[in-house]
Amino acid sequence: MIKIPPYLKKGDTIGLTCPAGYMAGEKAATCIETLQQWGFEVMVGKTLGSNSVNYFSGTDEERINELQAMLDDDGINAILCARGGYGVGRIIDLLDFTKFKKKPKWIIGYSDITILHAHIYSRYKIASLHSPMAAAFNEGEYKNEFIRSLRQAILGKKGNYKCAPHLLNRQGVSIGELVGGNLSILAHLVGTPSDVGTKNKLLFIEDIGELIYSTDRMLYQLKRSGKFNNLAGLIIGGFTGVKDTERPFGKSIEEVINDIIKEYEYPVCFNFPVSHEKENYALKIGGKYQLSINRKIVKLSEK
Amino acid sequence: MNRKNFLSSIVPFSAALTSGNEKDNVEPGFPASIPPYLKTGDIIGITCPAGHITIDDIQPAIVKLKEWGFNVTIGDTVGKIDFTFGGTDEERVNDFQQMLDNKSIKAILCARGGYGMVRIVDRMNFKKFASHPKWIIGFSDITVMHSHLDRNYGIPSLHSKMCNSFPDDWSKADPIQKETIESICRCLMGERMRYAFTVNPRNTAGIGRGILVGGNLKTLESLAGSQSDIITKNKILFVEDTGEYLYSIDRMFWNLKRSGKLSALQGLIIGGFKIKKDDEGEEFGKTLEEIVLEKVDKFKYPVCFDFPVGHQKNNFALKCGIGHTLSVHSNECTLTEIR
Repeated sequence: MIKIPPYLKKGDTIGLTCPAGYMAGEKAATCIETLQQWGFEVMVGKTLGSNSVNYFSGTDEERINELQAMLDDDGINAILCARGGYGVGRIIDLLDFTKFKKKPKWIIGYSDITILHAHIYSRYKIASLHSPMAAAFNEGEYKNEFIRSLRQAILGKKGNYKCAPHLLNRQGVSIGELVGGNLSILAHLVGTPSDVGTKNKLLFIEDIGELIYSTDRMLYQLKRSGKFNNLAGLIIGGFTGVKDTERPFGKSIEEVINDIIKEYEYPVCFNFPVSHEKENYALKIGGKYQLSINRKIVKLSEK
Repeated sequence: MNRKNFLSSIVPFSAALTSGNEKDNVEPGFPASIPPYLKTGDIIGITCPAGHITIDDIQPAIVKLKEWGFNVTIGDTVGKIDFTFGGTDEERVNDFQQMLDNKSIKAILCARGGYGMVRIVDRMNFKKFASHPKWIIGFSDITVMHSHLDRNYGIPSLHSKMCNSFPDDWSKADPIQKETIESICRCLMGERMRYAFTVNPRNTAGIGRGILVGGNLKTLESLAGSQSDIITKNKILFVEDTGEYLYSIDRMFWNLKRSGKLSALQGLIIGGFKIKKDDEGEEFGKTLEEIVLEKVDKFKYPVCFDFPVGHQKNNFALKCGIGHTLSVHSNECTLTEIR
C-alpha cells in the first residue's frame, strides 16, 4: 500500500532547497511570495542563492545536509525543490530516509527530482509530487492553472486533468498507480536501487533538449528492460527542444514512440500537459489515477 | 553451443582454478569459445548494422584488408540509406544475419558505428554463430554487440576502428593511424597482444587479471537492465566516450556505480574522453579523473587513464571477452593478453 504524506493546511511550512543545480535567490522570489500568499510559511535553505561558483548549488555535502535536515525537521511539512538541473544522483545514496519513512512529507519537483520520486516510491512506497518548481512562477505565471494545480495537490484536492486528443492516441480506460518523470533520468536509473517497477502502472514520460536518436535509444532501453511490457497505460508528456542529427533521423518523436509501443494493447496518449514548459500539471507519483482516452478527449482523474 | 550449456560442462574445471565463488564467470583466459583466428585468403564481410556509409568510403579499408591477404565480401547494407541508418531495420538485420550464418565468412567488420545496433540485436538469431563463432569487429555503437555476445554467449569479439577510420592515402597517414589499424590485423591473425601506454599521475597502481569487457560508456549505460547488459564481475572494464558533458559523464559513472558494476572489477581502464565544454556559468568543477576516482576510491583494483582506446586516432584493437592482465605502475602501464 502506498503511503500518502499528510496534505498541507494553512500555516504549514514548506522548505525550499536546491539539491542539484544553482539558482539565484531572486529567481525564486515570486515563488516564495506566492506560497506565502497561499497561507504557507516558507523556510528558505542556504543552497538557494548560495555563493557556489560552479554548476551546483553547493557542495555534495552542503546539498545533502540541507535536504537531510528538511527531511528530518518535524517543523517542515513539505519540501519544494527550487530547481532541477543535475545533482540528485550524486547524493541520493547518502541520504537517510529513516525518519522520513516514519513521518513522510511531500517532496515536490520534477526533471532531476525524478530521482527522488523514483527512489522513495520504489524503496519506501511513499507518494511524492511531480510538479512545477520555483522558476515556473515567474513572468506572471504564478496564477496559471499548472501552478494552481500544485496548490490544489498539496491541499489534498484530487487532480482532474483533461487534454486534447492526438492522432496517435490509443483509446481505452485503465486505472493504476502513476509513476514516471523525465525520460533521461528514468533510463539512467535502470539497474540502480532507485529503478522503478512499472508493472500494472500508469507510466508518464517527458523530456527536453534531446536528440531524436538519443530518445529512440532511451526508449529501446526501457523497452528491452521490460518497462513497457505490462503497463496499465502510457502517458506521453511534452518532448520539447527536440534536436536532430545533421542527417535527419527521419521520424518525429511521436512516431519514434509510436513505433516502439505499437505492439502493446494498453491506452496511450500523446502531448499530455506534463513537460519542461509551462504546461506541467502536478501529478502524484504513487497516486491512483484513471486514464481515459477516447476520440474526443483525454482525462486523467485521481481516484 | 550456448554459454549456459558450456558453463555447466566446465564448472568443475573452472571452480578448481578459482578461489572465490565465480560461478558466473569463466576463468580469465578461458572464454567459452574463441572464434578461430584468420589466415590468408579468409573472407571478411563488411556490413552496416547502424549508420549509413557509401561504397566509396569503404574503399580504403577494402584495399588494406586485401593487402593483408584477406578476401572481402560487401554486404547489401553498404551504400543503403534509410535516413541516418544503413538501410531499414529489416535490411540491416538480414545483412548481418546472413553474415553470421554464412560459414565461408570468417569475420564481420562493421563499416561504421553511429546509432542503430540496439534496434536490431534482439531480432538476430545467434544459434549458428554460437556453434561456429567468428570475429565481429567494431566499436562505439557496436559496443552493443560486444556486450551482448559476452553476456549471453561468452564469445569474444574485437573492439577496434572500422572502415571509416582507414585513411584514403596510406602513405600520408600518421604513424599512429597506421599502427592502430595494423593492430586489427595482428589481432585477427591471432597474435598475442600487449600494449604499453602512458602513465597518468592519477592512476591507481596495481595488477588485475580478468576477462576484458567494455566499450562506449553511453552505449553501456543504455544497455542497463536489458538482455545485453554488461557483466563486469571479476573483469577488467574499459570505457571511452565522445561529445559528452562532464555532468553527463558523471551521471553515467553513477549509473555504473549504483548498479554495482564497479564494485567487483579486476581493473578499470579509462580510454579517451572527448569532453563537451561546459556551458558558460554551468562549470562542472571536476575533472574526468576526479569524476572517476571519487566513484572507485574505496576499491582496491588498478585504475588507469589515457589508455589508447576511443574516438581518436590513438585507438588500438582490443579483444573483448579474452583474459588480460592489466598492470599499472608508476613507471609503466601495460595490458597483456593471457595465453
